Amino acid sequence: MLQIDKIQEDEHVILTLSGEVDASNSVDLDNALQAVMEPNKKILLDGSNLQYISSAGLGVFMSYLEEFEAQNIQFVIFGLNQKVYNVFHILGLDQLIIIQTTKEKALQEFYEA
Amino acid sequence: MLKIFNLNIGRIALLLAIITWLALLFVDLVRLFGAINRMDTGFSPEITWILQTLFFIMVFLFFHNDIKKNEGISFLDLIWKGVSTGLFAAGITLLIRFFYFLLGNSRLSTDPLLKNFFYHVNFGLSTIFLISVALIWRQLILYQKDKNVVQQWQAFEIILLVSMFFVFFNQTTFNYSFIFGLFFIYIFGIILSVNLKWIPYLTFKEKWKSILFLVIILLSTGFLFFHTVTQTEEATVVVSLTENLFLLGLFGFVFIYALFSFLVTLFNLPTSSVFEQKLTEAINFQKLSQSIQPGQSENEVMDILMDSCMSAAYVDAAWLELSPLGENPTVIHQRFISEEDRVEVEEQLKSAKPFKDFLSKEEPKSFEYLTGKIKHPFYKSALIIPLRVNKEVLGHIYLLKEVKDGFNKEMINIISTFVGQASISVENHRLLSEAIRNERYKEELEIAQRVQRSLLPSVLHKNECFDIAGLSEAADEVGGDYYETFQFTPDRFAIIIGDVSGKGTSAAFNMSQMKGVFHTLVQQDLPPSTFLSQANGALGRCLEKNHFITTTYYVIDTATKSINYSRAGHCPTLYYSARKNTCAYLEVDGLGLGILRNSQYSKFIKEKTLQYQPGDIMLMYTDGIIEAKNGQGEEFGFENLQEVLEQNYRLSPEDLVKKIMEKVYEFIGTDTLPDDDYSLLIVKFLK
Repeated sequence: MLQIDKIQEDEHVILTLSGEVDASNSVDLDNALQAVMEPNKKILLDGSNLQYISSAGLGVFMSYLEEFEAQNIQFVIFGLNQKVYNVFHILGLDQLIIIQTTKEKALQEFYEA
Repeated sequence: MLKIFNLNIGRIALLLAIITWLALLFVDLVRLFGAINRMDTGFSPEITWILQTLFFIMVFLFFHNDIKKNEGISFLDLIWKGVSTGLFAAGITLLIRFFYFLLGNSRLSTDPLLKNFFYHVNFGLSTIFLISVALIWRQLILYQKDKNVVQQWQAFEIILLVSMFFVFFNQTTFNYSFIFGLFFIYIFGIILSVNLKWIPYLTFKEKWKSILFLVIILLSTGFLFFHTVTQTEEATVVVSLTENLFLLGLFGFVFIYALFSFLVTLFNLPTSSVFEQKLTEAINFQKLSQSIQPGQSENEVMDILMDSCMSAAYVDAAWLELSPLGENPTVIHQRFISEEDRVEVEEQLKSAKPFKDFLSKEEPKSFEYLTGKIKHPFYKSALIIPLRVNKEVLGHIYLLKEVKDGFNKEMINIISTFVGQASISVENHRLLSEAIRNERYKEELEIAQRVQRSLLPSVLHKNECFDIAGLSEAADEVGGDYYETFQFTPDRFAIIIGDVSGKGTSAAFNMSQMKGVFHTLVQQDLPPSTFLSQANGALGRCLEKNHFITTTYYVIDTATKSINYSRAGHCPTLYYSARKNTCAYLEVDGLGLGILRNSQYSKFIKEKTLQYQPGDIMLMYTDGIIEAKNGQGEEFGFENLQEVLEQNYRLSPEDLVKKIMEKVYEFIGTDTLPDDDYSLLIVKFLK
């Protein structure tokens, strides 16, 4: 089960993921990301309610890396629990995607950098 | 044996019948001769009666046996047998009469002995005719028999048998008891004669034929009876053969049943076509309900369906419009109507009342059927019936008739039944095809599984300094886990373990690419970080956009007791140090293959070297082990794996693999199936 909520806040959009991302619903994640892709956009991904992410889910983030760069999109993930963070870390994705512990720290990436 | 025996009964009966008839003739002629010459021949009338009764029984046995052999012949052929005997008997009798006509008033014409001889001939022929026809009637009466009819017939046979012996007790003809017996037989014959179930099964043409046959039998019976009666009066007969209750009873019965059959067949003629129609419908229904045979197509079912619908409602023109979802409708099975007319009728339908709503709307509303009038020079009424398979509308059947209000409730009911049955047939056919297709996929997957199994090494390279064991299981038929070893020199080895993202067939294809890349690059004996960077370059070009591979590459040198390794996003290696007696996950930065598909990738790959001690264990695995879940959704996790190794470091790699799998299965429980591929590769350093 995966639930994706979208909130527009100030100049950034927040996608909230709740549940688990696996091969069956990674398409939903892909569609949700595709829907918010705009040049110079600021995208915040709230993963505090994300229980599990499979390699298919990681593949979705991975496939947007180049596009983020090309369209100058800022993408920050925050609130991941230890287990899910570990999955990103082992794969090395944390080196390519900014992952912060809290929303405040994530917002700092946008507005204070 | 039995067959020969049966045959013999027939032959013996025939032979005995001929002998008894000759004996009868002889006895009567001698008695007559004696009477004329006033001599006592000593033959009492009982001898005649006994011979006569014997003759009846023998003829009965012969025909009874004969008719048994012809079981299963058609009604008409059966009746024809009676007709032929009748014609034969009547023909001979006519010839005799003609012979007497030729003789005129000559002396011979009044010769009592000759007359008596012909009297016997006539008696014999009448008996043969009557018994054979009575037995034919028996077959017809007992068609679709029930218990009552069988009992009635058996009772009738007994009555007839008794009537044979009647003459022994009552010699006065036409007294009360004789007439009563005769009356009794006739009443019984009438009761039996209502069993005419065979008639409806005749086609129109067959009915005409059977009417002709029955008329012949009626005439033959009548003529033979008339001749018998007149002859008995003329002939000088000492002991009468024909004034016999059995024979006269049979005359009546044969005549009554023939008359009933004749009348019923005659009155059945007008309704014959209805019965034939119903029979055709039943046959059509059966055709439709038989599942489509291999090699037959849905089209053939539609063909039968169209024919059935058309004949059921006397339809003048029809077509079937198939409208698969998202495709343009196609018209097939166009019957008795030109394309030009069809389009014209379709236009007409669009303006006619009940059809307008259905045809004009984009989304066809579901309906059972539509019927109504149309304004067309030829066609006055139309019926549209949808053809549904599994609730999905497959198409519509259009039926047209040249009369107004041509479709009544019964026709629509029958057509609906046909359509329903055809739908079931098509559905069954589809399910069957699907099952066959699935079976083929399964076979293909099994082949893929065999091929993939062969991609994993069956023998792992090693020397006397270390032992190694591995295991890989796929969640589906094929999986994406991969490990392999390579030996550069007697002392230097390469080991790789990898996990392709996703699972199943796509993962298996990527895994085989990974194997290709490994074998290409390993020849060059590259440092681990360079190896992975180059592998990334190669795989980056062939992996799908959102797929990646995690792997760790090790170069082991047993001469220097060193392990040089790099990690490309793969699960960290669990390492047991014998000196410290502790386990730890080897930390090294890295990035999965295919995540960054440019030259930047190499920046993320680090290389580390460690020195091993004898007794050290290197445990490589894929995330299927860590993420194995139990019923409560808990993962096996890094801690459990570490604990198992800490407690079992004494085991050989092979036993350790078994132990870990045992612990994993114990954790997930037997009722949950693994939903990911998992692999284990264990190296234990010996010296």
